[in-house]
Amino acid sequence: MNDVFLPEIACIEKVRDETPDTKTFTLRFRDHQNGNHFHFLPGQFLELSVFGCGEAPFCIASSPTRPGVLETTVRHTGQLTDQLRKLGNGDEVGIRGPFGNGFDVQAARGKDMLFVAGGIGLPPLRSLIWNVLDERDRFGKVTILYGARTPHDLVYKDELEVWGKRSDVELLVTVDVAEHDWTGNVGVVPILFQKVTLHPESTLAYVCGPPIMIRFVVRDLLKRGFKEESVISTLERMMQCGIGKCNHCAIGHRYVCRDGPVFDYRQIAELVE
Amino acid sequence: MVFTIPKEGTTQWLEKLLEAGEVIAPVRGPCGDVIFSALRSPTQVLWDFENPLHPPKQFVLPQTDPLVKIKLNGQRHEVEPIHDDAPRTLFNVRSCDVKGIAFLTRMHEADPPDASYLRRARNLTIISLACTTPCPAGFCVCTDSGPFLSAGYDLQLTDLGGSFFAEVGSEKGEAAMAKAPELFRKAREDEVTDRTALEAVAKTRFGPETCHFGSAMRRISTGRVQDALWEKMGDWCLECGGCNMVCPTCYCFSVKDLRQNGAWVRCRMWDSCQYNAFALEASGHNPRAHRKERMKRRFFHKASAQYYTRDSMVGCVGCGRCIKTCLGSTHMPAVVAAIRKGKWHE
Repeated sequence: MNDVFLPEIACIEKVRDETPDTKTFTLRFRDHQNGNHFHFLPGQFLELSVFGCGEAPFCIASSPTRPGVLETTVRHTGQLTDQLRKLGNGDEVGIRGPFGNGFDVQAARGKDMLFVAGGIGLPPLRSLIWNVLDERDRFGKVTILYGARTPHDLVYKDELEVWGKRSDVELLVTVDVAEHDWTGNVGVVPILFQKVTLHPESTLAYVCGPPIMIRFVVRDLLKRGFKEESVISTLERMMQCGIGKCNHCAIGHRYVCRDGPVFDYRQIAELVE
Repeated sequence: MVFTIPKEGTTQWLEKLLEAGEVIAPVRGPCGDVIFSALRSPTQVLWDFENPLHPPKQFVLPQTDPLVKIKLNGQRHEVEPIHDDAPRTLFNVRSCDVKGIAFLTRMHEADPPDASYLRRARNLTIISLACTTPCPAGFCVCTDSGPFLSAGYDLQLTDLGGSFFAEVGSEKGEAAMAKAPELFRKAREDEVTDRTALEAVAKTRFGPETCHFGSAMRRISTGRVQDALWEKMGDWCLECGGCNMVCPTCYCFSVKDLRQNGAWVRCRMWDSCQYNAFALEASGHNPRAHRKERMKRRFFHKASAQYYTRDSMVGCVGCGRCIKTCLGSTHMPAVVAAIRKGKWHE
């Protein structure tokens, strides 16, 4: 019997400031430096312990195609993240996981990939985006639509630049509120749909962001001819155990931590309580 | 296999059981109420008692359950699992509570198995006392968890007057009898007849509480309970969480780090789905911000076909504890009746 609540120790290798309230932590397992034992899929999450404070779920923002370290991007918003933000290089945290179903990368092969992210919704998609880009020839067209409140709230600014320069990626970024030095798009994420050509029949759409954004994006996608099962999102709930036992994340008899967090839109519509 | 033990032999038997480990039984607490507690002496055991308000689930799933010890050595954290392998005997527990533990065990055995719980459950011997007189608020006959059981116990005792009838349900039950083999003898035909008659009589002596899950389940499972009804019932709920704490089948928990003797101990602690913050996210978003939504959640988990299919039983053992503890009267039989009738009493 495994001790399902026993965390493994990991060290913070790097901390990168993304926005004034968001940081990306690079973690390496202390006792398994190469991380070979930790197999995960994009979209899965881990329970991160700040010892003495507790643990909380965070999505894995790095790609399984780049093993060795794990990255997670965290916005400071609660008790645990308030402690986490104070940690730096060399500090130790605990990791349990990976948990959840993750994105079905195998099933997406050969498809066009559309990523629609809002604000802090980009990190779970970043894992999948790098997975797709690292196996670029296995996938069709890659389109990334990303929006944030202001230019300061955009995460992974360096990577946005990298993706923007690649000829095999179409990246469009928008902000709700621009400042004088912003020359890009202004408006909410759905306005970007007018600027790209989509092929709903051959495309899988991955949508991640605040609930209000998801609602409008999904509505637009369905209107544009996407099938419900081709629109894939991740749900967010309060989670504690990660293994479908504590009941915090239950929706009906489904558990976001175990049956999700990745659901297609048809599954989401069927979640009843 | 059925046996009997004379009443005067029980003290000697309990002494033997106490030698093998902790024996938890209903005893008279310091304030005069009946509680489940570890025995110091066999004479403490109550044989005719009102079932304690708190079920014995705390001995398999403690309210604060230590899971992991976290120590800091210089700059290095060390984590080690905390195991509780102590052998325990639950003695004179009622049928409903046996079924409650069976429910919890099935849940914790499910993928992935929960070692912390299962270690305790596997080292636990359950010696139950069948209810020849149902308790006043009990409705276990509606949930197939009493007054007598046909499975789930290690040993089931029935009070025959001068002796106890003992039915063996498992090897652990046999082992418990083998602690004092000289006290037990094979039951005679007439004793078997007496025991059967007692069960038949007990079934006719239930109080007024009933709980007809069938039609309520149909409505709960298909979302056909009107929102206004949940709202009305939610208005009566005081959000005290008492129903969850005293329920033999409730197991929702939170995980917290506690400071103990210079180390951190990660603990699982009982939580209540009726508390506002149960589903509150760090972002401030709360998918169950209203009492009606939390009440709906509780009864979906207890009495929906979806969960019935998973657990092979409703999440209720008919013990009636929620009736005793709920100040707002939104207990199981009242809510199930309201759902069946489509209206809440005013």
